[in-house]
Amino acid sequence: MLIGPVNLSVLTTACSSHYGNVIEEFCLAKFKLDMEVLDQRQWCSWEDTVESYGELTNCTFLVALKMNCFWPNRMVDEFFIRVHRHYFHDCSMSGRLLHDPPNRILGPFIVVPILVTLLMTALVVWRSKRSEGIV
Amino acid sequence: HCASVALSTLVCLSGPQCTTDSASGVSLGRDYRFWDGLLCWDETPAGNFASQNCPDYPSFDPLGKIITSGLSIQTKALQTLPKAGVNHWNTKAQVITLNLFFSVEKVTKYCDESGNWVHSSSINKTWSHCLTFSKEKIKVKYFHGFLETETELDPTAESQVSPVVTQKVEERKKIINGQYKCFEKMNRDQPYNKSGPYCNRTWDGWLCWDDTPAGTYTSQNCPNYFPDFDSTEKVTKYCDETGNWFRHPETNRTWSNYTLCIAHTKDKLKMAYILYYMAIVGHALSIVSLLISLAIFFYFRSLSCQRITLHKNLFCSYVLNSAFTIVNLITVVNNPKVVQRNPIGCKVLHFFHMYMLGCNYFWMLCEGIYLHTLIVVAVFAEEQHLHWYYLLGWGFPLVPASIHAVARKKYFDDNCWMSVDTHLLYVVHGPIMAALLVNLFFLLNIVRVLVTKLRDTHRAESNMYMKAVRATLILVPLLGIQFVIFPWRPENRLAGEIYDYIMHILMNYQGLLVATIFCFFNGEVQGTLKRQWMQYKTQWGQRRREHCSTRSTSYTATSITEVPAFMYHHDCNSEHLNGKQTEDSELVALKTGETYA
Repeated sequence: MLIGPVNLSVLTTACSSHYGNVIEEFCLAKFKLDMEVLDQRQWCSWEDTVESYGELTNCTFLVALKMNCFWPNRMVDEFFIRVHRHYFHDCSMSGRLLHDPPNRILGPFIVVPILVTLLMTALVVWRSKRSEGIV
Repeated sequence: HCASVALSTLVCLSGPQCTTDSASGVSLGRDYRFWDGLLCWDETPAGNFASQNCPDYPSFDPLGKIITSGLSIQTKALQTLPKAGVNHWNTKAQVITLNLFFSVEKVTKYCDESGNWVHSSSINKTWSHCLTFSKEKIKVKYFHGFLETETELDPTAESQVSPVVTQKVEERKKIINGQYKCFEKMNRDQPYNKSGPYCNRTWDGWLCWDDTPAGTYTSQNCPNYFPDFDSTEKVTKYCDETGNWFRHPETNRTWSNYTLCIAHTKDKLKMAYILYYMAIVGHALSIVSLLISLAIFFYFRSLSCQRITLHKNLFCSYVLNSAFTIVNLITVVNNPKVVQRNPIGCKVLHFFHMYMLGCNYFWMLCEGIYLHTLIVVAVFAEEQHLHWYYLLGWGFPLVPASIHAVARKKYFDDNCWMSVDTHLLYVVHGPIMAALLVNLFFLLNIVRVLVTKLRDTHRAESNMYMKAVRATLILVPLLGIQFVIFPWRPENRLAGEIYDYIMHILMNYQGLLVATIFCFFNGEVQGTLKRQWMQYKTQWGQRRREHCSTRSTSYTATSITEVPAFMYHHDCNSEHLNGKQTEDSELVALKTGETYA
């Protein structure tokens, strides 16, 4: 059997461009199923999607291992960009870990105690003045 | 495994492939074979399904056997593993035990009329079944940060992995979160609009990298996924002149330089421990010195007056604050298991800690307000009612502490509320800084009044007042400066270390400082102690039966010498008229020659 140079390179090389196809077929398929189970409104909810997303990532990694690709690579980037464009394009960017509340909530939480402090101080000063009979 | 895949590839591709051939039209799939990456599909007549079993690639153990591209695996890797959570894949080895079991499912592929391989929906399903990673079947220990929680653990590695499995889950969550944010960002950012070659934006597995011009280095801070990654250090990535990301010469994969993240970790860990023990020692010393001062204040009734009462309350709050801090440091900070368990007790402890911190600074504020009222507002006035001071000092700090607890619970409920990465801490620190600023303002006002108004008329008095104010004026900036310079940690390593030490001393030895300045350096206290010492010396020097008479004569002698020279309301200088003492004397005398701190 004659082995052409193309086949040789496939045998010894790291990644073939089939990697993109394979993750498209394998991993995306399962992810699609998982996301279809969810209501479309829940796609932006991290708690509901984190496991599927993690499995998708795992899947791409394992396929990369099998196909002698290093992970992550350009095809993974493009793959995930497409996934995000389809599933998460209108989700808020704010990330999923613990984060501070938005400024319109954080602001009052900080400013109000400061104002109350100043008020209380003024009150105490005023009361001590009054107790001396000097207003 | 790899050999079998490679062999399959070879065998498959040595034959022709299924392609579209517009020229020949319909009949395709004949004499053509297709390798889709995992299975080889034989020639199939157009318009037919082809099916075969899911592939059953044997499990492989890469330890020492398989070199996958980019990951050089050393058998020693197991020993260097998870204890410190290290897994930077660029310089160290990964340990992967991968047993993939494919369930016996059928795969079908359809060769359509035009000779293209397509998927049908059933195909998708079967393909995904082939690669279903049921948790019972997959044993994935560790690969650059991802760890599946699994039920079967390799027994040799179990001792290293199992105690930190939950930590790995947390790390993995952070990494997945970073990945998600990265791809979102990559989607939404503007495309590269500058001229010249550039490297495309990419996710390298841990961090997100923007489009970078060719031939430049780009850097960002180390991630905080792993305990030994220092997030103040920098990660660098090089985009070469051709517009491709730098590839590591050994493995020929794109590579970011994470080495600095752990380069100095050992030293930093050592320093962190030093600072930790320093903190505990500082607070212990503070407690001791404050208790001694309190003992002095309670024992020597002659000293007591309103200002000393305020001092006593201040010292109490410092003692409690130090106690809570020590308990917090020992039981929570140094104890990751407790943090992991996240009991409600550690949050309650944190709440009380915040409350005590507030009490500290609000009692300092009370001291300032008291002096202000005494000197500026109501000079020569009668005694003040201390109820409002008690309210401000003990009662009011509950307000910011409670608001912080509520906000934390609702918006940033991390384990034991330990994180300092949140702006919600300003809910407590904001009022504290406000109190310090108000205090400083009051004290400067006092100084101004003393210097301008009283100087000419009552020079000696103002001098005495100045000395009374001096201590508070020293302490307020000292206590406050930690909040002012806190954000500006120097970049330089040595300067940063010095900064850390100074901040630590300022923060943890405050009780000692307060006790020293308000009590031990207080002239009156020193005088009283000296007197007491002399009394004891004469007591023990004399015979027992002369004990009582000696004591009463010496006592009267000292009180006779304290003839009032001025009459004005000065704190902490009770008049001993006829040996009598009053708790809150209204008119006090100035002892000439006495200094007041």
